[in-house]
Amino acid sequence: MSLSVKSEVIENVAIITIEGALDSSTASQLHEEVQKIIQQNPTELVLNVENLDFMASAGLRVIIFAKQKLGSAVKLFLVKPQEQVVETLRMTGLLFSVTIVDKYPE
Amino acid sequence: MDTTTEFRKFSANLDSLEPIREFLTGLANKLGLDKSRTYKLCLAVDEIATNIINYGYLKSGITDGMIDVIVDSNKELLTVTLEDTAIPFNPFENKLPGEVDLALPLEERPIGGLGIMLAKENVDEFRYEFENGKNRNIFCVNLK
Repeated sequence: MSLSVKSEVIENVAIITIEGALDSSTASQLHEEVQKIIQQNPTELVLNVENLDFMASAGLRVIIFAKQKLGSAVKLFLVKPQEQVVETLRMTGLLFSVTIVDKYPE
Repeated sequence: MDTTTEFRKFSANLDSLEPIREFLTGLANKLGLDKSRTYKLCLAVDEIATNIINYGYLKSGITDGMIDVIVDSNKELLTVTLEDTAIPFNPFENKLPGEVDLALPLEERPIGGLGIMLAKENVDEFRYEFENGKNRNIFCVNLK
């Protein structure tokens, strides 16, 4: 399964599409992509996670890192997360810090 | 009660995380565990296996360590045991994020402790033993 990460910035909106498994062996790939994105000072961060099948705490830490670097003014969207991913976010209290949507733009 | 045991050895490196999850998912499917609880078991085990690889063996200076995954099951209980020979590493002695930390906005949160919390929360029982020079992390899922 491993991980595939693709990103683009369109009119200050950063969009990252994440597919596969986000665990301790793959999270650095997303971390690097997020670091690249941050340098472009996006006003919104959109994570397409419909095909993200597994996310461990290593993945959560990248989301926390992104939020901390971008600041509270930058909204973080998760597009179509799978039920188990939402459950992990809920369990760790991160659900309040992200906006879950069925598509972006809403 | 009849108990079946399955056993597999994995190299203690991060490339083993996905094969460990696949091994567990295959066995859980055979036992009829639903998708949600199978995922949760995999998540719990994944977090602790990551700690064993990233902290236990790394701190021990052992580069060719192994993780034994032992799966015992009967009609009532599925038990997964991770055994390793790294330095004693008791996950319960690590600080878990408290209620306060979890309530903080993401931007103000200290990072860490999430993995162990996820291990505890995603199975019916999680315990740790150190015996005969081996760390044993034990995860139980009720099948009844």
